[in-house]
Amino acid sequence: MDEREISWFCAYTPVELLAATGFRPVRRFGDPHGLEAADTFLHPALCPYVRACLAEALNGDAPRHAVFVNCCDGMRRLHDAWRDLFPESFSFLLDLPRHTEGRGREILKLEFRRLLRALEEYAGLCVEAEDLRRACRESSELRLSYIRAAEGKTGAARVELAQEAQGYRIPLEGEGHRGEEGGVPVLLTGNLLNPRGLVAFLERAGARVVWADLCNGDRPFTAEAPVEGEDVPRMLESLAALYLERHPCARMGDGDRRYRLLSERFKSCGARGVIYASLKFCDSYLYDFPRLEMRLRREGIPVLRLESDYADGHAGQLLTRVEAFLEMIAGD
Amino acid sequence: MTVENEGGLLEAIKDRYLEKLSPEIFRSRLFWKTVEGLARSPLNRPQWKADRISLTHFIRVTRDAYLGKAPVVWCNLLVPSELIHGLGCLPFYPEMAAAVTASAGLAPRFIDRAVEEGFSSDACSYHRCLLGCAVEGFLPKPDLLLSVNYPCDSAVLSFAFLSELYGVPHLEVDVPLPGREEELPLLAEQLEEAASLMAGISGRRREEMMQGLAKAIELSNRALEHLRRVEEMRKRDDCVLDGKDAMGNLSVLAGCMGSEAGVEFYRLLAEELEERGCRGPQSLRLMWMHLKPWYAQSIFHILEKYDARLVCEEYTHATWEPMDPGDPFTSLALKLESHFLVGPAERRAAHLARLAGEYRVDGAIHFNHWGCRQSCGGAPLVKKALQDRGVPVLIIDGDCVDQREYQEGQISTRLEAFLESLG
Repeated sequence: MDEREISWFCAYTPVELLAATGFRPVRRFGDPHGLEAADTFLHPALCPYVRACLAEALNGDAPRHAVFVNCCDGMRRLHDAWRDLFPESFSFLLDLPRHTEGRGREILKLEFRRLLRALEEYAGLCVEAEDLRRACRESSELRLSYIRAAEGKTGAARVELAQEAQGYRIPLEGEGHRGEEGGVPVLLTGNLLNPRGLVAFLERAGARVVWADLCNGDRPFTAEAPVEGEDVPRMLESLAALYLERHPCARMGDGDRRYRLLSERFKSCGARGVIYASLKFCDSYLYDFPRLEMRLRREGIPVLRLESDYADGHAGQLLTRVEAFLEMIAGD
Repeated sequence: MTVENEGGLLEAIKDRYLEKLSPEIFRSRLFWKTVEGLARSPLNRPQWKADRISLTHFIRVTRDAYLGKAPVVWCNLLVPSELIHGLGCLPFYPEMAAAVTASAGLAPRFIDRAVEEGFSSDACSYHRCLLGCAVEGFLPKPDLLLSVNYPCDSAVLSFAFLSELYGVPHLEVDVPLPGREEELPLLAEQLEEAASLMAGISGRRREEMMQGLAKAIELSNRALEHLRRVEEMRKRDDCVLDGKDAMGNLSVLAGCMGSEAGVEFYRLLAEELEERGCRGPQSLRLMWMHLKPWYAQSIFHILEKYDARLVCEEYTHATWEPMDPGDPFTSLALKLESHFLVGPAERRAAHLARLAGEYRVDGAIHFNHWGCRQSCGGAPLVKKALQDRGVPVLIIDGDCVDQREYQEGQISTRLEAFLESLG
């Protein structure tokens, strides 16, 4: 195992700090088909993504150094189990405020500073402003590469591209499959979905996912502001603002902003309906749906709710509902 | 003991009102007169004198909240009640309301209502129950929703929905992870902001606000002194207070600190514990983790059959130090931050391991409440921490609120096998 690789799981992880300290940040997506391997350590009623990531690590298929974000109960529990199982590895739990304005930025800046210190201490080096600037620039270039390469891509191809970019592989324009031709354009929103599971199924059912508002989809690439600052503290402040600027996860406190951005995106991306799909046992999305549904319906935006167990072996059972929904929105 | 109201009070209220149960009933003065009358009557025979204090307090606060006598602030479990009492507002803890609804056997109707509203059956039934109650208009209308980001995600998320339902503000307080000393002033600032908002609602000037908070903190400190006495007495072999009854005291610990009732409750309980009880040192000493099914007592009959009793439980112990009335926001920030449910599960495991040692338990039972990612999620780590210290652990899957999810046969078999193994 490469000692310079470091696992990360939540889209609010500041990968720039990991890169600036010489680590190679690798977003883990886990093994969707081997969740049971984690059952001894994580209750089966916990997020399947979290269980899949632990299962993968137990099989020895993931870097043991890891940065976790204190974003939800599931992620906290992954951190607890990981630390207990791999005590010799570097691990850090980064706090994430729910506030995204002034105080939230202040808290996140302090957290970024704390993480940076822990990484420096572990790596035995001191990050200079130029190191961090370079890492931020690379991250920004990666984001732009993703946006260019994602142009015209839909569905599973689009989500897989986003996953590649999150794995720090620069996507090449025009590379690979572009997604199914035709189909009814939809906006897909949720937490994290298996591109080869539910997302691919939706395409087969006749949906063309033109925007993937997912944490392993388009969402991490939505903040545009460059990281600025002459020294490390100022850059950390700017970086914290950048992360809180992104289209928020349902976990964040600014629900109003999230709905507004989603509604604007719906209008600009040419979708005819919204498919709201989330992993089972994800409280952030379980509690969010009724409120979001209420708002979308108020605006006359059709919405379909689906659930995923990450492996998505059951997806075929959803076919009738999905087809009926697509038929309805196609005929509008 | 507070939540279920031993002595059949809930049964008496149900007998009179179940047929005509409607949101309007709770807003009628006659209803509350009847409830207060029943609480004073021989129908209500609390096991402990202190129970009468907490019952009277909760009936008064809840009545006033329904009748709109003062601003109502909805709080989740870890919101420090000193903050609300100190501002002359009425704290309402909807998670506790869900427990009361469950102990009255009325939860399924409201849980189903929440599911109809779009809330998944994979969500915590405390929250589905309270959301169903709210949607049907059964709960007192809030003026403000105040949540902290622990012990679990559910409260913050369901309060966000309720904020829209009621059209009132929702203030979310971010408690930092343990060990973040430099972030404590930011937490204190958030608490001050909440207090200022409440002062605005209740029409208090800053000076009055600070006086109110200082008084609430003094009362809380006095209650804490008595609570510590209760804890010391419960560590003795001959303490008669059983955890199955003491578990309901969570409502006092969460909702009465900062009030006269909190002081009086723990003072009376400590006194009565001193007066009463020799149970004898022979019984099995057990610890209960997470909460109990509020609707079912049968699980405790099995413990009695095996002469086992709960000598301590996870949620009813003081986890903070006396506070400074002159610096309420820093004090309350420290109180919040020191809670064992804030942060990683290793903190919770350490708290439980400490209790297991201090109370000399022979075994521990973890009730895995369905949908609770906090408690179920941390259970394996807690189990390991206790077993490493030689404490056998039984994990039971169930549901604290939804009686339809209670697998009595399976639970009995597993519990009996565990108790037999403890000898």
